[in-house]
Amino acid sequence: MSKTPNVSHDEHRPNVALYVKVFAALMVLTMVTVIISKVHLPRPQAIGLGIFVALVKASLVGALFMHLWGENKLIHNALWITVGCAAILIIPMIDCVLVLHQATSPMAVADQHPPHHEGGHESTEPIKLDAPKKAGH
Amino acid sequence: MSQALNPAALMDNADTHSGVSNAKLGVWLFLASEIMLFATLFTSYIVLRMGSTSWPWGWDVLNVPLATLNTVILITSSVTIVMAYAKAYDKDKSGFQRWMAATILLSFGFLVVKAFEYGAEFKLGIGPHTSIFYAIYFTMTGLHGIHILGGIALNGGLLYMSSVDEHWKNPLFLGRVEGAGLYWHFVDIVWIFLFPALYLL
Repeated sequence: MSKTPNVSHDEHRPNVALYVKVFAALMVLTMVTVIISKVHLPRPQAIGLGIFVALVKASLVGALFMHLWGENKLIHNALWITVGCAAILIIPMIDCVLVLHQATSPMAVADQHPPHHEGGHESTEPIKLDAPKKAGH
Repeated sequence: MSQALNPAALMDNADTHSGVSNAKLGVWLFLASEIMLFATLFTSYIVLRMGSTSWPWGWDVLNVPLATLNTVILITSSVTIVMAYAKAYDKDKSGFQRWMAATILLSFGFLVVKAFEYGAEFKLGIGPHTSIFYAIYFTMTGLHGIHILGGIALNGGLLYMSSVDEHWKNPLFLGRVEGAGLYWHFVDIVWIFLFPALYLL
């Protein structure tokens, strides 16, 4: 039987009223996420907003349901190290996203595929980013 | 005899010098490894998505209403497990059992809804082989589903243990409930990111 009182349990006395409020906030934010995807915002804005709402929801669950708000420094430090390691994985991807986004932008595609001047005819076909590239183009 | 070699002290499951119990620190370190596991999958998702010439919109190729229902179920289960913890804290055994049973029922509900979703896709011949999108979709949601199964086993075990007085009266029981709750909230957080990434954006 433990003789040492578990300090963390006292610090984390459950606050039922708070849990109900967080539940309501999470439900509202879930609906906001669905609505964002339905209003046909440009994709970069929709993705940015969607990630932001997901981060708010995750923060609510982490801080209040998982009691990270006011948690021991040891746990915080362990999590910061983990976040740092995850950032090492993900931050290079941001560079990849920006490079690929530039490479597939209409201006970059137009630069890579200049209009043909054979016989005085120029291609007026619009560039379709989603269409697979045809051989010989 | 030094405390480190004293069997009684070992039986005490003494806290770390910082005041965090060993069990709780262990759960958080396990969750840290889980964060890295899902971070690698999300990184793969970003690479695959950015490397594709086209990426489907979730509303066109997946069942968003069912996924929204599953989001509601999972968020509700996060509340029920935290209520179970509150009841265990107050030594209210029947209250704990009610809320924990509700959590387990909601977990099964999530899996049933997911089974309907998968079933409809398999019926159409859709599987991980269909496209890059479906490959990452089945990998991520499948791994998340396995975590739900793990949570059901863990919570079911605690529900059973609460019916045995020896376990219910053990001072370590509350810590076990807290650990199970941390795991379950983590599973909820993973879904909070999976839902918009795969279904909405």
